Amino acid sequence: MSAEMGKEILLDVQHLSYHFPLTKKMEIKAVDDVSFKIRKREIFGLVGESGCGKSTLARCIMNVYKSKGGSIFYKGLNVCDAGTFRKNQKMLQTSRQMIFQDSDSSLNQRMKVCDIITEPLKIQHITPKRGSMRAEAEFQMYYVGLDAAYLDKYPGELSGGQRQRVAIARALAMEPELLVADEPIASLDVSIQAQIVNLFKHLQKEHGFSFLFIAHDLAMVEFLCDRVGVMYRGKLVEVAKAGDLFGNPRHPYTKALLSALPVPDPAIERARKRIEFDEKDFCCEGTLVEISPEHFVLKRGKEE
Amino acid sequence: MSGAFELAGMRQLPKEEPAQKEKWYKGKPIVAAVVLMLILWGCLCCNLIMTKDPVYMDLANCNVPPCKEFLFGTDTMGRDIFSMIWYGGRISLVIGIAAAFISTAVAIIFGAVSGSAPKWMDGLMMRLTDILISIPGLLAVVLIQAVLGRADILGLSFVIGITSWTAIAKVVRTETRRLRGSDYVTASKCMGGSFFHVLFHHLAPNFISSIMFMVVMNIRSAMIAEATLSFMGIGLPVGVISWGSMLSLAEQALLTNAWWTIVIPGVFLIVTLLCMTSIGNYMRKNANRRHSNL
Repeated sequence: MSAEMGKEILLDVQHLSYHFPLTKKMEIKAVDDVSFKIRKREIFGLVGESGCGKSTLARCIMNVYKSKGGSIFYKGLNVCDAGTFRKNQKMLQTSRQMIFQDSDSSLNQRMKVCDIITEPLKIQHITPKRGSMRAEAEFQMYYVGLDAAYLDKYPGELSGGQRQRVAIARALAMEPELLVADEPIASLDVSIQAQIVNLFKHLQKEHGFSFLFIAHDLAMVEFLCDRVGVMYRGKLVEVAKAGDLFGNPRHPYTKALLSALPVPDPAIERARKRIEFDEKDFCCEGTLVEISPEHFVLKRGKEE
Repeated sequence: MSGAFELAGMRQLPKEEPAQKEKWYKGKPIVAAVVLMLILWGCLCCNLIMTKDPVYMDLANCNVPPCKEFLFGTDTMGRDIFSMIWYGGRISLVIGIAAAFISTAVAIIFGAVSGSAPKWMDGLMMRLTDILISIPGLLAVVLIQAVLGRADILGLSFVIGITSWTAIAKVVRTETRRLRGSDYVTASKCMGGSFFHVLFHHLAPNFISSIMFMVVMNIRSAMIAEATLSFMGIGLPVGVISWGSMLSLAEQALLTNAWWTIVIPGVFLIVTLLCMTSIGNYMRKNANRRHSNL
């Protein structure tokens, strides 16, 4: 499958860093020297524990946070550069969309669902393909599996899962090339999760969307993603094809993370041993080294 | 014993009378709204109800007490007060509404800019507002009026408006600061929403209910300011009829014992202000209740 996938690189993140200042002297390295690439028509998964900087990375890519170092190339344009960003603003804003983690705060409580979904179209003054704004919203609602009767409701009247689907519909309304999804399915129930994940697969195959898919659910990541990156304490510790990473994890943190995954077979599950990962073993210094084709692991420079 | 049996220990609840349907007008300032509407309507359609030309000085009939011909009497210059009330009310209301509009516009822009600006800029803008708040309102109006040097309707509403926006700006700024980090504002910016798009579509619906009563109160205080200024003789000239300039004739009226020249415009002014206050209060209560329900 990867052979037919274009080798063209859509997003190229190079040595990206972002620090949150705590005091004048101390700061938190939320994203620290991260480099990876997303090809066209590819779903790139990003996993890692809470607070390891996944969301910050996503926000840096969307230009919500201004990165403190490194560069992000989108279609060959350095979007970290303010001048380049301003020149290509419209293209960047239409072709990249983000889905937020918390649907409760990512939808304005005082807007109707119909207005929420068509908001990006209104901002960019795009004439809707399907005649009217309402028809466009109806189409996107159908896509994410919501009834058109919800169009005139307020987000407060919907359940968490329905809200999240409205947020997904809003991102899809622009038909973006890159969709940054920050834990889009964490708040959905399992059947809807499957539906949304299948929708993502469909969008990738039929419409050529590329995804940066951030998730906790490792099984879902294994199923959905072409390539997976593992983050720990702001560092990308391992990047590999999904099968490669889940079958043959190389970094001790990845091993520990995967060993925490429950297995739906009681016999194996009882025998399953968690591999403990000692924080002291983790070395902040190091670079990603390609140990086998397309399999990168963070290693200390001197060991090689 | 028939087929039916009684459950032991079951308490029979007394049949409740269906609760009386709440009257639709309960808790709403209906009287105030009706009176205000009457006054507004009277002022807008003053041409229909005026019995005399309000600017015509009928020197043969100076200081006539209220009678059949002159319903509210005439003033020292022989003008018919009944006609003047409706005619002059228009100007008072225009000044009140225009000043409130100017102050609200300035407050929303200033508050939103300050709320979304970086910390040092926000601090600077808020200290500036603090300085303006510390100057007594009337003093500021008198000062700016003296600098501008002209006292027409637009100039006066501009001066009153430009000195009364600080309180609203503070509320707008606080709300903006609270909302600007929320994900839907971030999302809107990601999609390319401009500052004004975010302001009008995301921020304004959220703070409009909390500033609405302040806006109504601003109309009220602008009318008071106009009346005060005119009374002190630095507002509209006596030739321009407004409730304030009518009151400024009070000194002469006191000497001639013509109570109606003060009392009637005063009553109209006070009734209008009371109506606005009660409507404003209702709006404030309503906004607070809705917030607590969320």
